[in-house]
Amino acid sequence: MDIIKVEKLKKIYKQGDKTISAVDDISLNIRDGEFIVIIGPSGSGKSTLLQLIGGLDRPTVGSVQIDGIVSSKANEKKLAQIRREKIGFIFQNFNLIPTLTARENVEAAISRHSAKDSIVAEAKLKIVGLEKRANHIPSLLSGGEQQRVAIARALVNDPGIILADEPTGNLDSRTGEEIMSLLRDLNKKSGKTVILITHSEYAKKFADRVIEIKDGKVI
Amino acid sequence: MFYLKYLSSEILRRWGKTVTVSLGLAIASAIIVLIVSFSQALSLAQSKVLSPLENVGTDMMLTRSVDQENTGELDEAARTEMMSENRITTDLSKLGKPGDDFKMDTFLPGTLLTFESSTTDKLDKGLVADYAQGLIMSVAHQEGKIPEVTAQFETGGETINVEQDIAPMSDEERAAVDAARQKIQQEMKDKGIDPRSQEGRQYERDATNSAMPERFSKMRAQVQTERRTYTQNVGPISTDISTQNLTVAGVQTDKQDIGLILPSQIVEGKYFDGDNQIIVNKAYAQKQSKKVGDKITLSNKEYDIVGLVEPKLYTNTADLYLSLGELQKIAGRENRINLLLIKSTKANSVEEAASKLKGVFTGAKITSSADTAKQVSGSLVSAANLTNRFILLTSVIVILSSFIIVSLLTVASINKRTREIGTLKAIGWSNAEVIRQIVAENLMLGIIGAVFGVILGSLSIFVLNKFDISFSANIENASSGFGMMRRFVEQSAGQTASVDLDVAYSIVVFATGAGVAIIGAVVSGFFAALKASRLRPQVALRNIE
Repeated sequence: MDIIKVEKLKKIYKQGDKTISAVDDISLNIRDGEFIVIIGPSGSGKSTLLQLIGGLDRPTVGSVQIDGIVSSKANEKKLAQIRREKIGFIFQNFNLIPTLTARENVEAAISRHSAKDSIVAEAKLKIVGLEKRANHIPSLLSGGEQQRVAIARALVNDPGIILADEPTGNLDSRTGEEIMSLLRDLNKKSGKTVILITHSEYAKKFADRVIEIKDGKVI
Repeated sequence: MFYLKYLSSEILRRWGKTVTVSLGLAIASAIIVLIVSFSQALSLAQSKVLSPLENVGTDMMLTRSVDQENTGELDEAARTEMMSENRITTDLSKLGKPGDDFKMDTFLPGTLLTFESSTTDKLDKGLVADYAQGLIMSVAHQEGKIPEVTAQFETGGETINVEQDIAPMSDEERAAVDAARQKIQQEMKDKGIDPRSQEGRQYERDATNSAMPERFSKMRAQVQTERRTYTQNVGPISTDISTQNLTVAGVQTDKQDIGLILPSQIVEGKYFDGDNQIIVNKAYAQKQSKKVGDKITLSNKEYDIVGLVEPKLYTNTADLYLSLGELQKIAGRENRINLLLIKSTKANSVEEAASKLKGVFTGAKITSSADTAKQVSGSLVSAANLTNRFILLTSVIVILSSFIIVSLLTVASINKRTREIGTLKAIGWSNAEVIRQIVAENLMLGIIGAVFGVILGSLSIFVLNKFDISFSANIENASSGFGMMRRFVEQSAGQTASVDLDVAYSIVVFATGAGVAIIGAVVSGFFAALKASRLRPQVALRNIE
């Protein structure tokens, strides 16, 4: 079953007089539980593709369907709801809220807040092996620890899809390996669909499928 | 609740921003508090001076002023006052012997003609809620030595030469004399007296003299001396008489909350409670170095100073205050008053009452608060005019600038948090949640700013009051329209009231200041939040290299 359907997706930016096709007519079907690595050099359009899939941006042409919902046509509110419930994001710079503790950062993403927020958050921190650092603010955590908090945050609403934008880009190779293993485990044990973009060949070995992109097109 | 945790984390952990923004808000709020409080204090001070009638529990003042052509309609006493034009004519010779010390007080109606105190019976009870009678007199106090005023003229001692022809004796007279001589010679012969002796000669001489006609023994003549006129120039009387002018007011002492002075205006000592008591204007007492317990002589009568007063009826103040009856007696104005303070039944019927009361006697003049306001000038009025004009402008500038500063700070902070906000949106926050968060943060900053603003505002009011700022107001005395009267009574030209600025701590003002901080923060937060909510979530993915 395809959890994500991308059809004839185009994203055109205007830069002065020039028009740049960041994503140029890409169609993709991603099955539930797949581990996809999208690889390409910088400026190839892989980040734009991820944004379009994740509902962070709207395509110029084409459609994105998430879990049967056409997200590319949803309004802002609906799109926010899709992002919250169906997708978990992981960023290269971790993007934690600097003033919040690890636990609170995880709580920030909870879609329906309740008195059990901290219990839920701590359970997710346990999954990423960081329950002992729950009360630390990001500046007191190492890069790897911060990325684990970000993964816990991505998991907090139990989404089916995890979108990771160069998650190991700011980490040393050993820590990067740990993060990749963690994502692989989530994929294998919890059945999360993972779409990871990277420019490093190294990530290929974790992938069920590798999609190579250049100049906005799938090669 | 997560949102509250997030809110407190943002406030507490970004303390630099919290301090900057809330301090800015606090200063703006304190400035507003200070400006508004200051202007309120000014207008309060102004209204005290501008509406002096209210200070003595009234809203109208009835006095008398008459044009010269209407003198015929006046009663006798008022006509005399008007004709005398406040001139003092003193026959010093009647006061005692030259060289003696004398003191004399002459009472003049000043600019206010008197009227019957029974006028109050004619007042319409429907219009007048209460009234107090008053008599304000100017006193010319003279003292010194009685000068030598009489010139002495000595007359008599002149020699007057009179020549007169005496008619010779007639034959009968001669015969009578001869007969008398023969008779005495015969008598002497009978008595045996020698006619040639001393005794005999005397006898003969006496007899002859008594027989002589009367014109030979007594001369009678009428002499008219020449008429002469003596002219002597008498120079100005050289003396040490000094004249001092002061005003004395008679107060209806049985009224406690309406009158020229009120018991509440006594600043030292007490109000009238017996005979021979006088209350002194504090300013006059200081000038004359008088204090409670001293005595003051007025019209050769001693009065005990029982109290010092700061009179608040700035248009009609006096130096000395007596009971009305006492002043009427020593000023020779029994049953006369020249001032009637009236409280009308309804505050809004003052105009109506004023126009009806004008008919009560000839020359009746009603002064209302609005009229007294026109007679005031000076630094207080200038300051009040200035603030009235600029208070709005200044407030708007302060509010706008604080709003702009807070907006800039908020926007700057939002710009720094671009990634954070993008991330929140990426992980599913709606625009409404983002706006709510930022507005709530600013609301919090606004509240902190308001609290510090109130503290700062209170401190500045405290400091401002420490400075003892006072304003002066020059007040013209109510003119009688009878210009010549001013000739003698100089000090009725006007006076200066000094009003201390008392900046009050008003809850409303503090609420306004706090409101400025809170609303400013929330509004600027809202605009910054709108901008933030329009951020596209993909900024979260942009890598910062």
